Amino acid sequence: MADHVSGDRQARTIVVGLGNPLLGDDGVGWRVADEVEGLLRAARDAGRPIPDVEIERLGVGGLRLMECLTGYEAAILVDAAEFPDRPIGEVRSCCFDELAEFAAGHLDSAHDASLRTALTLGRRLGASLPGSIHAVTVQARRTDEFSEELSPAVAAAIPVAAEAVVELVAAGAR
Amino acid sequence: MERITIDPVTRLEGHGKIEIFLDPDGEVANAYFQIPELRGFERFCVGRPVEEMPTLTNRICGVCPEAHHMAAAKAGDAVYHVDPPRTAKLLRELLYSAFYVTDHTTHFYALGGPDFVVGPDAPAAERNILGVLAKVGMEVGGKVIQARKQGHNVVEMIGGRKIHPATAVPGGMTQGITEEQRAEIEKIGRWSIEFAQFSLGIFDQIVLGNDAYKEMVLSDGYTHRTYYMGLVDPNKKVNFYDGQVSIMSPDGERVGTYAPAEYRDWIAEHVEPWTYLKFPYLKKVGWKGFVDGADSGVYCATPLSRLNTAEGMATPLAQAAYERFYDTLAPKPEPGGKRLIHHRLATHWARLVELLYAAERMVELATDPEITSPNVRIVPTEKPTEGVGTVEAPRGTLTHHYVTDERGVLTSVNLLVGTTNNYAPMAMSVKKAAESLIHKGVVVHQGLLNRVEMAFRLYDPCFGCATHSLPGEMPLQVAIRNADGEVIEVLSQNC
Repeated sequence: MADHVSGDRQARTIVVGLGNPLLGDDGVGWRVADEVEGLLRAARDAGRPIPDVEIERLGVGGLRLMECLTGYEAAILVDAAEFPDRPIGEVRSCCFDELAEFAAGHLDSAHDASLRTALTLGRRLGASLPGSIHAVTVQARRTDEFSEELSPAVAAAIPVAAEAVVELVAAGAR
Repeated sequence: MERITIDPVTRLEGHGKIEIFLDPDGEVANAYFQIPELRGFERFCVGRPVEEMPTLTNRICGVCPEAHHMAAAKAGDAVYHVDPPRTAKLLRELLYSAFYVTDHTTHFYALGGPDFVVGPDAPAAERNILGVLAKVGMEVGGKVIQARKQGHNVVEMIGGRKIHPATAVPGGMTQGITEEQRAEIEKIGRWSIEFAQFSLGIFDQIVLGNDAYKEMVLSDGYTHRTYYMGLVDPNKKVNFYDGQVSIMSPDGERVGTYAPAEYRDWIAEHVEPWTYLKFPYLKKVGWKGFVDGADSGVYCATPLSRLNTAEGMATPLAQAAYERFYDTLAPKPEPGGKRLIHHRLATHWARLVELLYAAERMVELATDPEITSPNVRIVPTEKPTEGVGTVEAPRGTLTHHYVTDERGVLTSVNLLVGTTNNYAPMAMSVKKAAESLIHKGVVVHQGLLNRVEMAFRLYDPCFGCATHSLPGEMPLQVAIRNADGEVIEVLSQNC
């Protein structure tokens, strides 16, 4: 599932497309990850230098997600979002630490810890976790009905979100 | 109780939402726990080849992909009328046992632990795994992470992928394991046995050694006398991967055991006007409402239920832990002859007994002389028709039922997932928790959210979409309504 675009050893930065690709707009994180991978491969094939990055697609949260981030210096999480009163397809980018106020309505950790708690745990246990974690989100319309189709506005946001991710990667996710 | 009529168009939906209805005297009349339900899975699957189901259903959510993977593979075996080779069954069960070690460990330390180790009245901010480790020592956190890492490694070795296993298929497995992998898994199993014993020791020391906690476990507020469900092997011992479904009455009488394919003869679903969720109940007993007792068809399917329906555990250390469990909490048998524990908070202890069994079972399976045999699949040749596959998911009995055409293309799919079994018991437990804190319309705010949360958390409910959206803390909202259905108060956390 993981794809190291630029080589064999562990990359510095990981881009994680989060969500469930079978649940309609919830799959947008994976689709953005696909798009980012395509952009980076095209750049590499054209002989342009590309950042040291690994692309991953996951449907997990909490402790499992924290474990998957171990060993990277920077992480970019791409996910569907259901912020109140925001237009469908809106792309937002922020530091993970800024997400607290937006956590409303999202279940992340019914079975273990929240990612925030998991990261604190990992750091206290001495795990090498990213110093910088960003989130790029796409406002979703529907994430509770099984479908492999995205809403048109969400699908249209994929290139925008992918560009935001590539910019973060290029900037070292700082 | 005053009858409360709720317009069906106002059906309650929402994440972690609890509605408490009061009667005219201000006492709790009813309480309902809303679980977000994902829709359209059957429609999504129909028209696909049945062989896809083990890898498709394990993507329903990120919580128990291994359980769906196994149930789907077993249903696929049945659809194709094929009995996998012994080694394939051993490998599936080995993967599944490793998954259980991981899942039960996580639940105890990250979810159940905070209620006991940190305490039910501690601030919400401390009631998490960090609070647990602050009490029991940070080095325990290292063991938890190690247990999880090793479990993931075993799943990857046998299942081919680290998160969504892919190797169980109709007729067996697509790959076996090498001697080197076998030895590594045996080592992990032996470590897991020690870790499970260590965890039981923590429970002993912190919960059983504390009179207040013990009193809480035994209190009426967390006690229900319902029917119990669980898979058992031919010796009536707990089994996670295979067996007959056993039903035990609240009076300790075995009502019967049935083959998973007969589930529709035993289970029916009750519909309420206020929710899209359906409430399974025992058909032969009937639906009498959200009430306890032998006349009510409400049943429960959890670690505690599995222990209650079985005659014991199939491995020696777990059997000793099982006996201690019953000696401590249910020294006398019920009228039907079986010792039962009806104290729902004891589910956390039952989970640790199962953790020990899963670890011991890993070693048994990893040391079976046939585990490294290359004979892992019989390619199906029969015409596909219909099949049912059942396993015990950590959070309850999981059943997949498929019907296909002669090409193996799905024409009908029905899933009865672990948490669904417990919808009615969870509502009843939430109601009891609310009853202890609301009288004559006066709400005791202190501890209400925690007590209510504890009431459903012990069931380890699976929110199908638990990990699908943006990371955040688990929200919980409690709405209290008067006898006219009007919301009079809302309490919330992380909302």
